[in-house]
Amino acid sequence: MRNAFVLRADERGYNKILSTGATASYVGGHPDAFITRFSSFNFGDYQDGRPGFGRIRVFGDEAFYHPGCSYNMHPHHNFIICAFVLEGRLTHINTLGGLEDLGPGDYYAFSAGSGGLHEELNRYAEPMRAIYVWLLPDQLYLPPTYTHGHFDAAAGMNRITPLIGNDAGAVTISQDARISRLVADGPGAFRYRPRSPAHGVYAFVIDGTLHCDGATLKRRDSTGIQGAEEIVYETGRGDTDVLLTETIM
Amino acid sequence: MTDDALKRWICLGCGFSYDEALGLPEHGLPPGTRWRDIADDWVCPDCGTPKARFEMVEIPYAEGQPRAAA
Repeated sequence: MRNAFVLRADERGYNKILSTGATASYVGGHPDAFITRFSSFNFGDYQDGRPGFGRIRVFGDEAFYHPGCSYNMHPHHNFIICAFVLEGRLTHINTLGGLEDLGPGDYYAFSAGSGGLHEELNRYAEPMRAIYVWLLPDQLYLPPTYTHGHFDAAAGMNRITPLIGNDAGAVTISQDARISRLVADGPGAFRYRPRSPAHGVYAFVIDGTLHCDGATLKRRDSTGIQGAEEIVYETGRGDTDVLLTETIM
Repeated sequence: MTDDALKRWICLGCGFSYDEALGLPEHGLPPGTRWRDIADDWVCPDCGTPKARFEMVEIPYAEGQPRAAA
């Protein structure tokens, strides 16, 4: 049965995490540095929303302010942590040997598996904005992996481009999930067929306007749909940018 | 899996997992310790996330696992 929810931008959890005081060991940088995080699903102190969607547990719309602002090096297991850089530059460091300077369009999938540490750092004055998606893996304690990719918005204009999953050219992960990007420069109808009715799709509007199932979604609004054979996403006037996360439910 | 089967729990703050069958002997929890028998104020040894923010999961282990979760 088709089921849907709409989550407005201002209904999400919000945290401002300082580089001083109780969170100082977690967030680094100049005393003025801070991170803002809007959470679509319950995470950390935000526990008033949905617990997740399919295998998604964390969907964070985050911004790192001021040079040196970072999540300091910290450990993970199991979760597949994906980051999609929207603005600014993200220095990602991990214990698999990854050291990368990522810009807009760049993304990575860090599968922490049997254990790994990472740091997420903005070294510049310009704020760094990224979407962080955490997925449960399909097996516990896999060998950890790190893979990065790049989304070319010009080449991907007016279509849906798979970034993560088992499509050709996408970064593979050990989960029945697929993350795609839909960018359009004007009105259009984009049909999305989930792998099965047992899959759901969480569509997050990075920017622009999206119409779907009778709802109009604006910047940072989102909708989760499950049990659909096909979903039609209609983009509005101007530029629209959407992240689509499909997952087994 | 019956209700009485030994279960696995995952920390939603970092992905650390607790397996009732294995316990966490290095943290004073012998193998077989049930999740319900762990104190409510127990926190994730890796990241400090409270016990209430763990989720029971039925995810199989990867081949060759579990080794001691280090």
